[in-house]
Amino acid sequence: MEIKHQVIVVGAGPAGLNAAKYAANAGCDVALIDSGKRLGGQYWRHLGVDELDRKLHHNFDAGSLLMDAVRANPRITIYSDTSIWSASIFDNQIVLRTKSGAFLTERLILATGAYDRVIPFPGWDIPGVMTAGAAQALLKGSGVLAGERIIVAGTGPFLLPVAAGLASEGARVVRISEASGVLAWLPQLHVLLRNPGKILEAISYFSILRRKSVSIHNREAVVAARANESGVLESVTVAKIDSNFKILSTHEFECDVAAISWGFSTDIALASSLGLKSRAAKDGSLYISTDEDQLASTKEKSYKIFAAGELTGVGGSDLALIEGAIAGLAAASAKSDKRRLFKVRKKLRRFASSLQRVYPVPLGWKEWLTPDTIICRCEEVDYGTIVDAKNQLSATDARTIKLMTRCGMGMCQGKMCSRNISDLLGSSDGDRIRASERPIITPITLGELAQEGLL
Amino acid sequence: MIHFYFEGERLEAREGQSLAAALIQNQERITRLTRIKSTPRGLFCGIGSCFDCLLSINGELNQRGCITEVQEGMVVQIQNGN
Repeated sequence: MEIKHQVIVVGAGPAGLNAAKYAANAGCDVALIDSGKRLGGQYWRHLGVDELDRKLHHNFDAGSLLMDAVRANPRITIYSDTSIWSASIFDNQIVLRTKSGAFLTERLILATGAYDRVIPFPGWDIPGVMTAGAAQALLKGSGVLAGERIIVAGTGPFLLPVAAGLASEGARVVRISEASGVLAWLPQLHVLLRNPGKILEAISYFSILRRKSVSIHNREAVVAARANESGVLESVTVAKIDSNFKILSTHEFECDVAAISWGFSTDIALASSLGLKSRAAKDGSLYISTDEDQLASTKEKSYKIFAAGELTGVGGSDLALIEGAIAGLAAASAKSDKRRLFKVRKKLRRFASSLQRVYPVPLGWKEWLTPDTIICRCEEVDYGTIVDAKNQLSATDARTIKLMTRCGMGMCQGKMCSRNISDLLGSSDGDRIRASERPIITPITLGELAQEGLL
Repeated sequence: MIHFYFEGERLEAREGQSLAAALIQNQERITRLTRIKSTPRGLFCGIGSCFDCLLSINGELNQRGCITEVQEGMVVQIQNGN
């Protein structure tokens, strides 16, 4: 089956929703494809029970208005629960393959977002250790507390809403271990002061945390986890660390969940398979490069691919909304004046780049590892195996180490480990980008391939 | 409230919840044992990216608990290896 639309938007988070809305309002017939069951993406993930959704989100009203507008727009067709497993160009058309058929378009907007980055440590594969995003998704998407005694750890502003949400719903949040220094924001204060909305949001989290007696400990990290005899998390080792993540001293804390996030990795799999240009940021994150109109494909092509939201640089939902609006208008070739949108985008991008400077992740975490620490979770490849392949088999790039050890070859398609392996190998930017290129984006069965006539 | 079966035991869930969330609510954290070292794994990324919360659902292997909505009468088992 082939489905054709004037504009196709992939990803129904803030950027994708706004892109669909703006393109449709400019007169286009729009398809909005998302792998999730409900609109909203990760940021506005919800259960669909009004009072709970309102309680569990910082600002659900804006999201719910936007989702309603998209649902009610007759020019937008929503395809939820639809995963794209390959993307290619054929006959100057963009072809997206899903289990329910192929989607064709000449105008594509990618808004595939990001997921938590987690760095490995001994015991990070024990059930109970999870990403901060997972703990939040359980709460926002299912109304379930991840555990009773929870440690929230890692780095970045995202730890605050996660901890505040868990604490206000009744979990005992033992502590927040934040790796950055307490004065880390000081050099960026001028940027922070220009974004009072962000300050107010942070204050609302701090006040919940104070009321629930949750303390924030800077220059701390979870560096090891232990399981009980049933194999689930029993305690974690929290270390006092220096600015290079060197362990200075350690303490043991009992907990049934450790919710950890070290910032975000962008989901560039679709973008890479369509040949879009990516760049490696100073911290090793991969971002898609765009022009002023969020156009990511080259101008000479007759088809156009736009990128919006976290994909182009992690910057939060406000920035994602603006980029989505610009991409939607540009995809529709709308004649509207975008100068005001450009101005807001500039301000929000400045805030985003300050964030990256405040929450760095130096390679000192390497010293937390032991030879039997799992690095590739899918294929169970440990640190010792990777070090041996690097030193004895000269496996110094992502492809060779994969062939030698299977790391990065599993079902997650390298999403969890490839950035960490690149860091461990000291990979070049080019090698980091190549490691993200995959012909198949999400695992499918041979039967499904055959059905498409591709076998 | 709806009901589903995990390892033969009848458990309660709320409609619209993910299967992984329904299991955690019932104090069940282990979704699979790994293929090589047979170590337990559970929910990790929570958004369908990491493939760690794989379960056998109604006899079908390799199903991600975090992005599967729990259904009345669902028969769920720990995925052992595979």
